[in-house]
Amino acid sequence: MEDYEAQEQEFWAKLEESEFSRSSMLRRSAAAALGLTILGGAPSLAAAARRAGAAAPPLKGTAANMAALVAAAKKEGHLNVIALPPDWANYGEIISTFSKKYGIGITSDNPDGSSAQENQAIVSLKGDPRAPDVVDVGPSFAVSGTVQGLYGKYFNSNFATIPRAMKDTRGYWTGDYWGAISIGYNASLISTPPKSFADLLKPEYKNKVALNGSPLTSNSAVSGVFAAALANGGSLSNVAPGIDWFAKCKSVGNFIPVQTTPQTVASGQTPISIDWDYNNFAYVKEFPSAKWTVTIPSDGVYGGYYCQAINATAPHPNAARLWEEFLYSDQGQILFLKGYAHPARFTDMNGRKVIPKALINALPSGALYSKVKFASLGQITAAKATINTQWPAKMGA
Amino acid sequence: MKTGRRRLPLAWLGAVPFFLYALLFLFIPAASIIAGAFKDAKGHRTLSNIHQVFQSQYIDAFRTSIEISVVTALLGGAVGLAIAYAALREGTPRWIRSGMTTFSGVAANFGGIPLAFAFIATLGSVGIATQFIDNVFGVNIYNSPVNFAIWSKTGVEITYLYFQMPLMILVIAPAIDGLRREWREAASNLGASSWQYWRHVGLPILMPSILGAMILLFGNSFAAYATAYGLTSGAIPLVPIVIGNFYTGDVLSNPHLAQALAFGMFVVLGAMMLLYVPLQRRASRWSR
Amino acid sequence: MRRKRIAPAAVIWLLVGAAYFFIPLIATLLFSLRKTSTGHCCSLAAYGYIVHDPQFWSTLRLSFQLALETIAISLVLFVPTVYWVHLRLPRLRPVLAFLALIPFVVPPIVLVVGLLDFYKGSPQWYYGSPYGFLATAYVILAFPYMFFSLDAGFRAIDVHTLTEASQSLGASWWTTMFRVILPNIRVAALGGAFLTLAIVMGEFTMASLAAFHTFPTFIQYVNETKAYPAAAVSLMSFGITWLAMLALLMVGRGRPGRVQIAGGH
Repeated sequence: MEDYEAQEQEFWAKLEESEFSRSSMLRRSAAAALGLTILGGAPSLAAAARRAGAAAPPLKGTAANMAALVAAAKKEGHLNVIALPPDWANYGEIISTFSKKYGIGITSDNPDGSSAQENQAIVSLKGDPRAPDVVDVGPSFAVSGTVQGLYGKYFNSNFATIPRAMKDTRGYWTGDYWGAISIGYNASLISTPPKSFADLLKPEYKNKVALNGSPLTSNSAVSGVFAAALANGGSLSNVAPGIDWFAKCKSVGNFIPVQTTPQTVASGQTPISIDWDYNNFAYVKEFPSAKWTVTIPSDGVYGGYYCQAINATAPHPNAARLWEEFLYSDQGQILFLKGYAHPARFTDMNGRKVIPKALINALPSGALYSKVKFASLGQITAAKATINTQWPAKMGA
Repeated sequence: MKTGRRRLPLAWLGAVPFFLYALLFLFIPAASIIAGAFKDAKGHRTLSNIHQVFQSQYIDAFRTSIEISVVTALLGGAVGLAIAYAALREGTPRWIRSGMTTFSGVAANFGGIPLAFAFIATLGSVGIATQFIDNVFGVNIYNSPVNFAIWSKTGVEITYLYFQMPLMILVIAPAIDGLRREWREAASNLGASSWQYWRHVGLPILMPSILGAMILLFGNSFAAYATAYGLTSGAIPLVPIVIGNFYTGDVLSNPHLAQALAFGMFVVLGAMMLLYVPLQRRASRWSR
Repeated sequence: MRRKRIAPAAVIWLLVGAAYFFIPLIATLLFSLRKTSTGHCCSLAAYGYIVHDPQFWSTLRLSFQLALETIAISLVLFVPTVYWVHLRLPRLRPVLAFLALIPFVVPPIVLVVGLLDFYKGSPQWYYGSPYGFLATAYVILAFPYMFFSLDAGFRAIDVHTLTEASQSLGASWWTTMFRVILPNIRVAALGGAFLTLAIVMGEFTMASLAAFHTFPTFIQYVNETKAYPAAAVSLMSFGITWLAMLALLMVGRGRPGRVQIAGGH
């Protein structure tokens, strides 16, 4: 059985357990719930004509038709992206480099949107020239988006060198980068560097440990719980020890519920932050005065990846495919690495020695990452259900 | 003045524009929420959502929300009234009044992350007020015995006052203006002290407006969301935050449960309203 | 008129108020003046960053225009209604008061979803335009504040006497409304208008969910991505809204010789 089939089966099994039917799920997402929902009207005549006139975009990227793809994309002249904060995995530079290289203007909408909002934007803006052309979503949303028929197939030129576990073999989505949960801390306020989850329970960190949001809503925080679970006798299928660790951290007075933001990092309100490594690394550059330092916890290493997908009804389908080509090219993948996110093709590129040494040295030692574990879709869904019931009970005021 | 039967229908016409607007932009969305609360994912009528609302985590959210709202409504109302009166009474320079009114207008809508951060910067563990108290009085409020935290219920309440008090000031100002100077003078001429003036003249006259304003403050606090989230990331369970979680989280959403929770908010405020009506009638015995 | 001195009790309360309201603002100010390199005072770089961002100007302009539009619609809709209710339909007053609580009860997040869903098929000039969809939603948000302000204002004057006197002198409804009633509830109406301005300049949830780029959505974005400019833009937003209100106040007070038949000082 193909990976994606197993994933889909798990997905529907979980859905059924929570008493939703397939048809209502599809209906519900079709009803404008949230996100960029405003325009449901008929597409403007211009956009319709443009789409009708454009030749069908290629299914596979190859060296041969790259030139044609670039020409077609330039003709479309624009690309809509969504939920890409400029300081997340270096998307700011990626966007401007792409734009300059191909002369294609990019509209970056709702930079702080969630994966849920990205999928919903595809649905509610369908037919509108402002609909997102490409999305960058968490794996569970990549699978649900595929099931709902939101994405179009595409095999970029480097599809083969993306790890099997990080792509949909039918071509609906591909993992673009991954990161691991890290501990970032303010070296000017913290004298003893914490190295593990166990360290963070020490009394010298009173009122200092924070998460990037609440696990009830934030993907990063859910991943923090996973990492804590791995460090405390739990597993990818059992995150309860992770929740217990946070409860313990709170009861000894170390954990504070304040969400880590650039402001709280700069002001010193959250001197220790449990977050994705690429987010923590972004603070290093941004706030030199905070002497922000990043380390991967030695007792629990949890990784998560994000997935690229192309909108099935993208207003600029050729530009969308060119964007994917760019992201998965060596140049694009190295740009991710500049943002301290591990690109999906890291192993392949490392083997071919095309990564600048300086970048490799800037990352924390490979040894720390070697223990990284990724959860499957089913495990993520189960963990969220556990967190939903146990977190308020154990962590509530 | 002619008030024959023929006039009545015409009089009601005057209220039509408003009701039409309210129907289109308020009742219908509100009704769809109530209807949705009783539907399940397949669209059938059910009480299961309502049943789920009674789970302990949601009841906790309601309890906390109500508690914070009552505290900030009473405190914000009382202090707001005092400040408003101080600025509006005789003898206070005119510019204080204008400054306060306009400032209150802005502050009443200052919320969300900016407000949360302003208070973190003031009373957070490294906030300027915290450090000032530590340096000058040698007391670190984050340690025992004070054990204060800006992300606790108390911290949220203190922060909420930032928009509750101004709201009170704004709503009560016209009513305070209606307190005639002559009444105060007459009272003091008759030998009444300040306290007696308030007890027998001032407060009774203002009471309907005060009550109305406090209900407004309660509702305002009850529906507030972004500020508490900015301070606590939802660690303090509040009903709007829980509702928001369903819509914005990465968890599988359940809009019907969210609508049931919203319906619960309706119920709570409806109960407040029921309290308000007899109180209002009693208090308005004293007005003209 | 005898000039009274300010009462001591008033001074105390005003000082308490000033301390509570200004200290957090000062804290924000101090933070916004920090230099990125050292984390300490003093630099205006954060403000420069905001001022040079074109999004700052475009969203500010949009929010302002939205605010004025909302105030206009609200006054036109609510002043006559509240007046009429006080004059002829007193039994309706509790009903209105009750209705005024509904926009509070319904969290903006749920209200906007309801509105988006219901109006999905409507024409583009309404649904896709902030001056259509968002303004009408904001009027609803402003309704409780407008109502309670206007209600208190109308309660403080003697509506019946004023109207009867005016009409017995031969004035039409228009004249009565504009030259007798309105000047008397000016404080209340201005209060309502202020609040509406502040609401629109501070409202985030509905604008963000309906995908309009208003000033609060810009502020939120800066708050989630930058540190010192976030504090800077929060203060600027506070200052700008306050200045706008003072301007409104000046405009409202502009005309000399306030007509006041009943009530007042």
